[in-house]
Amino acid sequence: MALLNRSDWYDIARDTNWTPKYVTEEELFPKEMSDCFDVPREKWETYDEPYKTSYREYVKVQREKDAGAYSVKAALGRMKFLDSADPGWKSILKLHYGGIALQEYAAGMAEATMARFGRAPGMRNMATFGLLDETRHGQIQLYFPHEYVSKDRQFDWAHKAMHSNDWAAIATRHAFADIMSGRDATSVALMLTFAFETAFTNMQFLGLAADAAEVGDVTFSNLISSIQTDEARHAQIGTPALKILIENGHKEGAQKLVDIAFWRNWRLFSVVTGPSMDYYTPLAKREKSFKEFMIEWIVGQFERNILDIGLDVPWYWDTFLEDLNTTHHGMHLGVWYWRPTVWWDPAAGASPDERDWLEEKYPGWNDTYGKCWDVIIDNIKNGREDLTLPETLPIVCNMNHLPIVGVPGKKWDVRDHYLDYKGRRYHFGSKVDRWVFEQDPDRYAGHQGLIDRFLAGKIQPANLEGALKYMGLQPEDCGKDAHDYAWVWNYNKPDKVAV
Amino acid sequence: MTTVPLCVNFECDFVLQLVPVESDFTMDQVAEAAAHHSLNRRVKPQPGRTLRVRLQDGESPFDRESTVEQAGFQVMETIEVYYE
Repeated sequence: MALLNRSDWYDIARDTNWTPKYVTEEELFPKEMSDCFDVPREKWETYDEPYKTSYREYVKVQREKDAGAYSVKAALGRMKFLDSADPGWKSILKLHYGGIALQEYAAGMAEATMARFGRAPGMRNMATFGLLDETRHGQIQLYFPHEYVSKDRQFDWAHKAMHSNDWAAIATRHAFADIMSGRDATSVALMLTFAFETAFTNMQFLGLAADAAEVGDVTFSNLISSIQTDEARHAQIGTPALKILIENGHKEGAQKLVDIAFWRNWRLFSVVTGPSMDYYTPLAKREKSFKEFMIEWIVGQFERNILDIGLDVPWYWDTFLEDLNTTHHGMHLGVWYWRPTVWWDPAAGASPDERDWLEEKYPGWNDTYGKCWDVIIDNIKNGREDLTLPETLPIVCNMNHLPIVGVPGKKWDVRDHYLDYKGRRYHFGSKVDRWVFEQDPDRYAGHQGLIDRFLAGKIQPANLEGALKYMGLQPEDCGKDAHDYAWVWNYNKPDKVAV
Repeated sequence: MTTVPLCVNFECDFVLQLVPVESDFTMDQVAEAAAHHSLNRRVKPQPGRTLRVRLQDGESPFDRESTVEQAGFQVMETIEVYYE
């Protein structure tokens, strides 16, 4: 017997809006778990997911994707790419796996929230596949680095990082809890799938894949490209949900959730993807600068998406565009200076040639961030490595939990955007981070950042050694300069002098 | 005498840092404690010039001899340390 075309049966099969008999509709779909906007059920009936697939089709395609990724890994594994890879590139891998692999499982739980509590059958159907996607992403991004653990124990942080109190893990957990596990299904559709997946995953999984291909890391390039094909599909959950919210008078509320999620993701990417692209990737292999990638993927594509659907660009868009020139340079400087506190070896990326590139891509870099690097370089050349290592902690933002940074040198503009709330002072890295807090203060107020924990006596001994212990870092885990300062000695070459 | 952790913004540096001081520290001692974590690490010293302390957004610096207690610094007060 011939099979029906999918379009002949899909709508009937996925429209599982049964009438509950033993519980009320409100008990089946509590507002807190399903839809904070409380859009009536019949309005959600119009939800039409743009990408339709059946389980049979899904499994066939996913099996082929996995076969491709694993076979490339198996074939190229014999080439021992990692043994000869630039240390900066190895650090990108360690940062990526530690920061992302376990969050994929958390994303799976967010998809599960939509699969169970989504108000539209189409959302529930797509999110079920999204849950399977994220499970695959978690597994594959733990499996791939596992073979490196015997060679380099920092790769063990692919599994360990998110279970630790490392500052980078706290920042990542806090951001994703805010857009994934701590929200109702409708909010997840907006904040995770629309704001995060249609914008930022392109940066990490396509932009970085381009750099990976340039470097010759075909395995990693192939892996993250494969993941992005899933992201591109389940990212489409949010758009039809946004249309329904706008049509039913909830544009303002939807806009706010998108604005919050976009900013939180941007700050996280400024410390993950920014340094990876502009400092860790070997100079000769950089396809574009971080800013150029951001302009292409975010300013170009996401801005168009958001306007097309009937939302406005976030109110802080000008601030964001200006941030593209600055924030990730400060984040990079902070990660490098506090390198014992991370599970990867940051590449300084500040050799004379790299500085020329930075100055070209970011005019004024030498007069600002370069001024700090000048002092660092002098200290290393003079045998004072001790002065290039921290003796205290940076203040971290009570929203993004990253160091509060600004522009140093001639354009010094570092600032604490603090707020006093119910007898406690909260410190923020930007006016937008403070705005996010102000939208729902009691949602965020109880959380203790790393500095709050330090001051509360939870970190003992109360010094940097105690902080490293608290973060779960053994001496052999702690980051060090990726190139053992070899880049500094390029300043001694006669045709190059320190700027 | 009690320890007062401060949120320090040092001129020309790129980051805010946690700097503990004692309540009887003078502003010159506060500046010195702050300088330890920035000067000669990421900021070049400016010989012959004096470091001063003010609140963020403060129009004028505190008197160099006044103490942390006299200045009324709260825990995690945000201060700027800069060359006069």
